[in-house]
Amino acid sequence: MTLIWGGLSLGAIYAIVAIGYNIVFISSKTFNFAHAQLTMVGAFVAYTGLVKWHLPTVLVLVIASAVVAIIAAIEERIAIRPVGDMHNILVTTLGASILLDGAAQLTWGSQPLTVPFFAGDSAITLFGGRAYPVELFLIAIAVLLVVGLGIYSRRSLTGLALLGMAEDREAALLRGVNVRRLAFMAFVAAGALAGFVGLFVGSKTFAVSTLGAALALKGFVVLAIGGFGSMPGTLVGGTLVGLAEAYASRYLGGEYANLAVFLILITILMVRPAGLFVRTKERVV
Amino acid sequence: MKTRLFKVVGGLAALAMVAAGCASEDASGSDSEYHVLVLGGISAEGVLADNASTSVLSAKAGVDLVNKNGGIDGKKVTIKVVDDQADPTTAVTKLREAIAKEKPDLVLNSGPSTVADATLPILKQNNILSFNIGPTATSADPKAFPLNFDLSASAQNQLDAFPPYFAEKGYKKVGILHGSSSYGEVYGAAAEKTFTAAGVDVVANEEYDVAALDMTAQLEAIRSKSPDALVLDAYGAPLGYVLKGVEKLGWDIPIIGNTSVAATGLISTPPPSGVLGTPSVKNLVMQVYKSTAHDDAATDVNDLVTRMKAIDPIKATLIVAYNNDALALVQAAAEKAKSTDPKKLAEALIDSSVLEGATTAIIDTYRFTADSHAANPSADEFAFIAPGPLKDGQFQ
Repeated sequence: MTLIWGGLSLGAIYAIVAIGYNIVFISSKTFNFAHAQLTMVGAFVAYTGLVKWHLPTVLVLVIASAVVAIIAAIEERIAIRPVGDMHNILVTTLGASILLDGAAQLTWGSQPLTVPFFAGDSAITLFGGRAYPVELFLIAIAVLLVVGLGIYSRRSLTGLALLGMAEDREAALLRGVNVRRLAFMAFVAAGALAGFVGLFVGSKTFAVSTLGAALALKGFVVLAIGGFGSMPGTLVGGTLVGLAEAYASRYLGGEYANLAVFLILITILMVRPAGLFVRTKERVV
Repeated sequence: MKTRLFKVVGGLAALAMVAAGCASEDASGSDSEYHVLVLGGISAEGVLADNASTSVLSAKAGVDLVNKNGGIDGKKVTIKVVDDQADPTTAVTKLREAIAKEKPDLVLNSGPSTVADATLPILKQNNILSFNIGPTATSADPKAFPLNFDLSASAQNQLDAFPPYFAEKGYKKVGILHGSSSYGEVYGAAAEKTFTAAGVDVVANEEYDVAALDMTAQLEAIRSKSPDALVLDAYGAPLGYVLKGVEKLGWDIPIIGNTSVAATGLISTPPPSGVLGTPSVKNLVMQVYKSTAHDDAATDVNDLVTRMKAIDPIKATLIVAYNNDALALVQAAAEKAKSTDPKKLAEALIDSSVLEGATTAIIDTYRFTADSHAANPSADEFAFIAPGPLKDGQFQ
């Protein structure tokens, strides 16, 4: 059971990163390759707030969300908005991720930093397995985010407008949706989310300048497994990737962990090229 | 006609003078000085910069000591530091520039193996004596580079110190956990071979991806084989994940970390930033050079620390302060050879009386031979210590 808790919590981290990718993808059909780095910055801000400034956790969560939301807004203005072509945006957001990696290393150094967790840093026994409280929180956050965003997208006007944009951007524009503004707000919201979860992610992984790079690829794999734009898909993808990594490392050896993950990815993409939860649509050409 | 002849002769004379000037610039420095050039990635990022800064600082401290003791073969030692950004291309360009301007007598290469790989052929071409911290496949081979000497210990040197420690502690079965980096893989394979040859039962040898975020699965696999101790190769965040994993499993096992473990700031920093003094490290010991663990009785090392601190703060552990030893070795070799000729110095550096007599601090006795210019320190040069706070490059 310890292995399962470990795999699920790792999968939850990947799923949370993939949710951030999805928010941007749904609103603007683009990928923000720097999203994992935004989560990393969130972890560093949480470290600074908790360890250096001795602030209460709630305030740190607010500050981290605000700081990373501002960074995301700047990124949108510099790396997304001036670039028209979607393919070029892949390059500019990749550039932004490299910049954030470098800036984090210059600001906080390259050694791992402990992010204390408010619910304690001692492992507990649950259903026969051992887990840290933060691991259970991560699993809960991933599930709550998917459920919450699912409800929000269907019950709120903004959520419906976002779904409309994802379906047909031009039609949404004709129906009076401020597409540009909404895409910008979605980008900033994804940044705020990355800042918020930074404390939880950093408590499990440490705040370290290599964190963004470690999360980016697996987050993308989770997205591809679940299907681009599908929120429930991120949960299923995260669970599959996290458990595959844990079980492959335990019974085959650490060198087979990535191999197992990519084997699952290839198999799923061969059977369902658009991912598990997205149907392939015909389009008029 | 006469005017034209004068012009031609005058021009040739001017050319000859320019050429003579160039020639004098190409030659080694004046006879009264011994020129040392230090290559280091001072403007590199993070840990690399701190390491380079400490290497350069140790070279400066070494120069101070050597000059205080009469210089090298009576010559005053001068030092020039070149920032190669830990980049081979930059290192090659700057080394060539430095040689063209004023050929150094000695080059101390403080950078990674990639820089050594790029610069050693140039040093060989120019017959310059050199010492190197980042070893390459051929850097310690006298047939390939007769004037180069490696200062750092190899993974095998470090591993040779483990079996006596196992015997002392009564560990008969060990598990190994190592990273997926090229060093980690070599270390894992060499560790298993060395321990098995020493009669220790290696019950598990597991690898982790250096980009992974959780090592609990590998630890569970090793725990299932019930080893007496866990030998660990880890640096940076992976070390933190391993310690968290061990604590999560509630596994009460002695952990013996290699020098990479000792180089990770997390274990020498108290909470809340680090884990020093927490239950995570209660079973951890790590391998260090004896010179890296503070000892009031170690006069040579304490003297080095004092000299370094007098110049600048020490930012990294003394494990990268080999350059001090390089200067002490050259001074001892010059006394034996009664010359600063690089070939004569290289011959003297394989003389055991020179190596034993040199006032080195980081490694007590270097063991260069005619067949190998590797430092090859003995197992006695290492110690296994519990994590402690790092002060002035030493664990307290």
